[in-house]
Amino acid sequence: MDIGTAQSVLLSGIVLGSLYALMATGLSLIWTTLGIFNFAHGVFMTIGAFIAWQIGADLGWGMGPAAGIAVAIAALIGLGCLSEFILVRPFLRRPDVVLVAVITTLSAAIFLENSALLVWGGRYKQLPPLIKGKVGMLSTAISTHEVLIIAVAPLTLFALWAFLKFTRTGSAIRAVAQNRESALLMGMNVPVLYSLAFGLSAALAGFAGILLGSIRFITPGLGNEPLVKALIVAIFGGLGSLGGTIGAAYVIGLMEAISMFFIGLYWTPAVLFGVMISVLLVRPTGLFGKR
Amino acid sequence: MAEPILDVRAVSVGYGKTQVLWDISLAVPQDQRIGLFGPNGHGKTTLLRTISGLLRPWSGEVHLRGERIDKALPRTIVDRGIIQVPQGNVLFPELTVSENLRLGAYCRRARPRLADNLARVYDLFPRLKERRRQQAKTLSGGERQMLAIGAGLMGEPTMLMLDEPTLGLAPKLKDELLEAIAEISRSGVPLMLVEQDLEFLLELTDRLYMINHGVVALDLDASEGFDHDQIIQMYFGKE
Repeated sequence: MDIGTAQSVLLSGIVLGSLYALMATGLSLIWTTLGIFNFAHGVFMTIGAFIAWQIGADLGWGMGPAAGIAVAIAALIGLGCLSEFILVRPFLRRPDVVLVAVITTLSAAIFLENSALLVWGGRYKQLPPLIKGKVGMLSTAISTHEVLIIAVAPLTLFALWAFLKFTRTGSAIRAVAQNRESALLMGMNVPVLYSLAFGLSAALAGFAGILLGSIRFITPGLGNEPLVKALIVAIFGGLGSLGGTIGAAYVIGLMEAISMFFIGLYWTPAVLFGVMISVLLVRPTGLFGKR
Repeated sequence: MAEPILDVRAVSVGYGKTQVLWDISLAVPQDQRIGLFGPNGHGKTTLLRTISGLLRPWSGEVHLRGERIDKALPRTIVDRGIIQVPQGNVLFPELTVSENLRLGAYCRRARPRLADNLARVYDLFPRLKERRRQQAKTLSGGERQMLAIGAGLMGEPTMLMLDEPTLGLAPKLKDELLEAIAEISRSGVPLMLVEQDLEFLLELTDRLYMINHGVVALDLDASEGFDHDQIIQMYFGKE
């Protein structure tokens, strides 16, 4: 393998890792705050990409990428809050909420995916890259859009971390996750905090969808494969640890890129699952998980 | 007689189908510190949880300064100033001591005085100040209890309900907490204290209620002293 190939494998791994990091932190945020897995997370990504396309792309309403992104993110926050209200809140105090949430969020995923098919059809769509052009790097060139992804993902996650760490509402979201009853006794509005966590998580997924929507084609199934990867990342990284999830996202992204190059597209998911299972055998709490 | 701060009237409540409290009535008059004691599992904590709004009474009413609060949400009740410090609580284990305390002032009413109250809590419990950057889960049992009480104080309580603050603590720590709670009480915060340790209660409260089998079995004025034998008989049944 020459240096140019190695470099492009590395770069595509980092691009994938960045997208997975955006996806998986959202998934992990919901897991830590509400204690459920959200299987509609992938379709949130799809809807985000479609809305951005509809508003922003020339073949849609042509209002430009900025408007597309803004509307899509706002809509996804709304969709996230609504999903929490319909899919999770009625079942939250049940002892089998984890299982019920699997069913409700999976059915919402199917419902939303088919709604997207009805609204936007099955024809491939693509968002224009946010910045056109290529950047030369040593012996290869990489599209500027991919550079943007590599730069924007950590910035977004840093903003998320700062929000959770330094704001009153952010601390409250972390607190609710750790001790619901004490949160109530301190006067926190627990349902609103849950809703907010869901909205934030959906916005992250939508944003990842927008970024992905100009490297891949947007179809109603756009989010399915990233959802599976985000699941692998979240479990692999140790559920609930935000830092662990982000680290795991880059590890999985790189592993996927390397496996795609050496083993091929077909067997790569199997390789990733294999790695995840082996890690869980040795460390049941995940790579960076505690206890 | 002046209107009581808190008035619990004929409250019945339970979990699921199991009734725990049977028509409990008690009042917290102005300037009186209330102690609750009695065997485990007889409803002391349940009573506090009902006052805090975590449990909704099946029947009966709870009034705070003349306003009915038994249908209010916990956050409304916190905003009115009733702060419950739950039993054996670690609060938010992964958050730092200072983050935990700041969240104690989450309710709107307490926000403006956050800095003052934080200084006050650190004065009262210097050990929390030393450990303010540590995660709460790294604290010892006594320090956790200080943190829980401190976080309660951050909420600017107009009535503080402490649920067995000395549970499982060594005698030396117990004395230290006793001193701190006495100081809180001297600063004018009305107290409702749940304790197993009667000596502890007698030092800190003016009026004692014994809760047994979900009813108020005994109502004692602390200044008048009390009859050991009578209490022991209530605990263990008649010989």
